[in-house]
Amino acid sequence: MTLLISAWTIGLILSLLALGVYISYRVFAFPDITADGSITFGAAVAAAMLTRGMNPFAASGAAFLAGTLAGACTGVLHTRFRINQLLSGILVMTALYSINLHVMGQSNLPLLSARTLTTYAERIGRRLSGGDTAVLLGWPVSARELGSLLLIAAVVLLVAIAAYLFFRTNLGSAMRASGDNAQMIRALGVSVENMIILGLAISNGLIAFAGALLAQYQGFADVQMGIGMVVWGLASVIIGRALVGSDSLGSALTGTIMGSVLFRLIIAVALRWGLNPNDLKLVTAIFVFGALVLPMALGVRTSRPRPSGRPRPDGLIAR
Amino acid sequence: MLQLRNLTKTFFPNTPNEVRALQGVTLDIEEGSFVIVIGTNGSGKSTLLNAAAGTFPLDAGTITLAGRDVTKWPEHRRAAMIGRVFQNPFSGTAPNMTVAENLALAARRGQPRGLGSLLPAKLHSELRDRVATLNMQLETRMNNPIGTLSGGQRQALTLLMATWRRPDLLLLDEHTAALDPKSADQIVRLTQRIVSQHHLTTLMVTHSMQQAATLGTRIVMMNQGRVMADIAGPDRRRIRAEDLVHRFEEIRRDEQLDVSAAEMLREMYV
Ligand SMILES: Nc1ncnc2c1ncn2[C@@H]1O[C@H](COP(=O)(O)OP(=O)(O)O)[C@@H](O)[C@H]1O
Ligand SMILES: [Mg+2]
Repeated sequence: MTLLISAWTIGLILSLLALGVYISYRVFAFPDITADGSITFGAAVAAAMLTRGMNPFAASGAAFLAGTLAGACTGVLHTRFRINQLLSGILVMTALYSINLHVMGQSNLPLLSARTLTTYAERIGRRLSGGDTAVLLGWPVSARELGSLLLIAAVVLLVAIAAYLFFRTNLGSAMRASGDNAQMIRALGVSVENMIILGLAISNGLIAFAGALLAQYQGFADVQMGIGMVVWGLASVIIGRALVGSDSLGSALTGTIMGSVLFRLIIAVALRWGLNPNDLKLVTAIFVFGALVLPMALGVRTSRPRPSGRPRPDGLIAR
Repeated sequence: MLQLRNLTKTFFPNTPNEVRALQGVTLDIEEGSFVIVIGTNGSGKSTLLNAAAGTFPLDAGTITLAGRDVTKWPEHRRAAMIGRVFQNPFSGTAPNMTVAENLALAARRGQPRGLGSLLPAKLHSELRDRVATLNMQLETRMNNPIGTLSGGQRQALTLLMATWRRPDLLLLDEHTAALDPKSADQIVRLTQRIVSQHHLTTLMVTHSMQQAATLGTRIVMMNQGRVMADIAGPDRRRIRAEDLVHRFEEIRRDEQLDVSAAEMLREMYV
């Protein structure tokens, strides 16, 4: 049971990463690899602050800001210096590796003795269960696990609502239009370049925030923790799209979160059945490959047909 | 209203693919005039409109719009003063966003965009009322993705979008060329109505000599990146579609092209 609860919690934490990837990959069709670096960046910044005894909320907020900075860098490299999308991300991701080591001061930073959001979560869990363990659907669960799950669920709900509201504002809609038809929105007076920079900043802010939460939940930050994370996010976004089968904003956001949790659950079960953890990234990559290629190979679509329009490259596959 | 001075633009300069798309175009367009731009394929009509809109930096020349020198302004900044409809119906609308969202985006053309709601109820009903005046039954489809509409419907909406806030300059680049004859006709009538209603200063490219002869107050004929003829006033009122085709044939003859090309032109344009 603890395994499932933990899979739910991590799935929800990583759904923030998936939401970030949704913004870059779906809204802008920008395959942004910065994610691999910025999730670690968020973890590193938060961990460095927490080990110095700073407030966990401040540390998590600082992680978000650090991520926006990384995303903005990628956006500037692409829009102002005209560097290819993938390469812009690779450059920032690579630079972040050194920066993360500097921020942490070592390659792995344990948080076991620091006061973190998990400390608060545990307190919430204790209050609810009245002890060290609670009973959930007839199974014993530690107060810490229960509290963490509730806290992260609340955070994800808030972030999803904020994202939904944001994308319906003038600014957020201009951002969606920039990804949908740059020529059109430019003719309506919007700097597509600025929208990309802002969009990648928000995307990587969320991803770094996910990194900060993950570090606090796991109890450590590690310089390697970001490897392959963008593919993880892609997998979640793709599963989410298949789950809801709709491109409307609300469904897309909900689907992305559901996709992240479902994917994590599948992986947890597979690991339980004996999947070698070393094969995890390989399996994830093959899964994403299949999800990208299968619909084309079979000549079917995973969801309702896109309304006819200028064909938008569906992410990484040029049509 | 719009002064184009000695506009010059060469694509791929100093390469075998060099194209001298604009070779010193000078035009003075008064407030409220409706200028039709014609010319053979590749004569620089679209490039002229793109230059006015700021799609690319010029090699030389200056552009003054409503008394302001906008030569150095980026495209999105000029958009505050300019409304555009493109040849391709896909170009003017965001296909995955709804009809209402597309219109609302256009309702803030050139305005700052902050965290206010894109579609407050009041704007939504205002948009629906205006869409209803198109008589295309689109007011019932305000919440459908605009990409599900036909080319003609999308061009009609793009025209509405380009003129929702009164532009100082309206640029129409063969905006009926991709449509079937019936829809093209509908869009032409709508264009006429909107332009005259709001007294819009308009530059309209067309390859239909029929449209050129019946619409507008002035005809500018382009060839090889230059203005070949500029017909206004009484001359403009006398002109017929056949005269325009004749002018094209003359240009062709001057270029010593064979008669078959002229024949082809006649087939294409009349
Ligand atoms: N963005 C561009 N890049 C390179 N060449 C261009 C570009 N735009 C136009 N041209 C070239 O400039 C010439 C004029 O094109 P255009 O203005 O589109 O002609 P038209 O009168 O048919 O609209 C053509 O030879 C075209 O190939
Ligand atoms: Mg053209």
